[in-house]
Amino acid sequence: MRRLDSRIRLQGIIDAHVGGIRKLLLRSAWATGFCLVACVALITDLGLGWQLPFLNKLPGGAQLISYDSLPSEDGEECAYQPVSEALPPYAGTTPLRNALMQARIAETSPADLSQRRPIYTIRDPYAAYSAVAVDNAHNEVVLTDENLFNLWVYDRTAKTAPEASTEPKRLIGGLNTKIEFQCGLYIDPANGDIYAVNNDTIDTLVVFSRQAIGDVKPDRELHTPHGTFGIAVDEGAKELFLTVQHDNAIVVFSKSAKGITSPLRVIQGDHTGLADPHGMALDTRNNLLFVTNHGSTHSVRAQPGARRREEIAGWPLTRDDAVPGSGRILPPSITVYAKDARGDAAPLRVIQGPRTQMDWPTAIAVDPDRDEIFVANDGGNSVLVFNASASGDAAPIRVLKGARSLVSNPTGVYLDKTNNELWVASFGNHIAAVYPPTANGDVPPLRIIRSAPPNQPVPGLGNPHPLAYDTKREQILVPN
Amino acid sequence: MHGIAYDAIHDEFTVPQQFGQAILTYRGGANGEVRPIRIIQGPHTQLDAPEHLDVDAVHNEIYVPTRHGTILVFPRDGEGDVAPIRVLGGSDTLLGSDEPLAVDPVHNLLLSGGRTGRGEDRRTMLLIFNRTDSGNVKPKAVIGGPKSHLNAFGGPFTVYPPKGEIIVSVRGTGPNADMSSDDAYVGVWSIDDNGDVPPKFTIGGPRGLLRMPRGIALDIKNRDMLVSDKRLNAVLTFHFPEMF
Repeated sequence: MRRLDSRIRLQGIIDAHVGGIRKLLLRSAWATGFCLVACVALITDLGLGWQLPFLNKLPGGAQLISYDSLPSEDGEECAYQPVSEALPPYAGTTPLRNALMQARIAETSPADLSQRRPIYTIRDPYAAYSAVAVDNAHNEVVLTDENLFNLWVYDRTAKTAPEASTEPKRLIGGLNTKIEFQCGLYIDPANGDIYAVNNDTIDTLVVFSRQAIGDVKPDRELHTPHGTFGIAVDEGAKELFLTVQHDNAIVVFSKSAKGITSPLRVIQGDHTGLADPHGMALDTRNNLLFVTNHGSTHSVRAQPGARRREEIAGWPLTRDDAVPGSGRILPPSITVYAKDARGDAAPLRVIQGPRTQMDWPTAIAVDPDRDEIFVANDGGNSVLVFNASASGDAAPIRVLKGARSLVSNPTGVYLDKTNNELWVASFGNHIAAVYPPTANGDVPPLRIIRSAPPNQPVPGLGNPHPLAYDTKREQILVPN
Repeated sequence: MHGIAYDAIHDEFTVPQQFGQAILTYRGGANGEVRPIRIIQGPHTQLDAPEHLDVDAVHNEIYVPTRHGTILVFPRDGEGDVAPIRVLGGSDTLLGSDEPLAVDPVHNLLLSGGRTGRGEDRRTMLLIFNRTDSGNVKPKAVIGGPKSHLNAFGGPFTVYPPKGEIIVSVRGTGPNADMSSDDAYVGVWSIDDNGDVPPKFTIGGPRGLLRMPRGIALDIKNRDMLVSDKRLNAVLTFHFPEMF
């Protein structure tokens, strides 16, 4: 083999695809490495910054094209310069930026990726039950669904096969229905009309007759304050009660109200104890109103000159009238009022404290005969039963909870006095289940309605709004 | 809850608590029923109904818009009843009520939604300020107008400083626009834009999959854009190398 000079050895190292040179490398690796270092040092010392065309003679593969010497490290250190100061001035002061802007304006359309499909989607394909109510006259149970935005109507006694979902009798849903994130439900015992409460995306209560099916317009609509949640109806007085989360208020309308109309009365103010009110139950025998509260609140005062999003006579004060810096985060509670309370009325009783086990108490039902109240305890994965006359830091008299009970993030309860059954809608597992009202502990349900085959994962999305990406854990943070 | 910001430098995330008028910061990775590590709340804070926010982890500041058309700036590690260190607001700012915002700590910019008019006369704008602007100052630039197709903000937007890009979810139009529209999309503008400028990219719509896009987040490592959609009740990941 012809003896190679140092330059061609360097060349050989660079182009590893030439078989003969590969053999040379293998045979004289240490010598080649030494020569490489020596050659680089020689070239650097000579300050040769020019291209080395002789190295390009080898066919194919990686080739050294050129190199530059590093700058001298003698002299003063560079002063620290924040990145932002190194960037050119902002917005339209340089010719290039102006040209780019004008070019953009002149374009007929932006880079159109409108039809690009996502590579991943987090979405639950099944209904997520939120509120429940029974129509005893027609032996049906109605469920709201805060995932697919439907009203599901089932046979009250439907039995569900172990590996199947339950077949509904009818379904109401679609854009025409104005159903979205519904959380409260009332069934008119006289005619079976369904009153469904939209939460905080559509400021409308919608009412459907029993004939409604599919994507139909509501038979009646009532404009509501923003953020309604729970509903109760006094059939004797023909009054309809709604809780308003965002304004810490209760509004009372005529039961037949529609369109944009003023409420009959409002409960709102610092003395009411309302703090992110959710569910509501009426005891018309004792003229009492029970309200569950998650705990966060602030004060409101009519602000002169405030720009309000709407002005309706008798409307509760809204976030436009919030007193800055008045916010409080209190323990969850149940506040009890006289049924005809109005204004800044203090509650008659408050159930609150660590012994209550309340954690995001949501829907509530009352049994005046047994003097009991039933609370869907979302954060506690339980149903809590209290004496209806309880006050202060009272422990529940029964707690329905546990793996066998299938109670999972419950947001709906309904006490069916006619059939002596307690319904619980669980947002956390695609299930609405029936129990004896006296159920206590980890008790399996009598029957279930299921929107999905068993053990389907539950993303738990309910109005996902902002997003953040945790780069450390590679996780998506999704507040709902 | 309409805002969240993850701070990768300090491994924390921060959210606005609207009903309690508070800013809550948690350790990154917090799970279950855990208390925040810091709470900003109280009369001196001027917080009224905080919906959105952003955190500048480089300059250690939290930016919070108010219902009264101001932006409050707090120290990132502020705790308790702390007053804002700066307040941006006034008629010249064009700030609307509780508008989404984002901070670009590299170019030292504060981007905010803005609006003029009400009802059918309402115009939506994207305002660009210096990050440290205070008081009643005019924005450095205003993006908006018919060519911009900036109908209304769907939710919080975000910024990608290495390319100077602003990524915005845009609500569509139509009779059911408050619920769903096939005009909705995510658009990308530049921090160098000013005036009635169309987006340089549109993705997910118009007449795409998105119906009511809300929040935006970026997975820079994989060059993906994440977007939540209210009507779909979903979180979608789009591969979007063009913008990175």
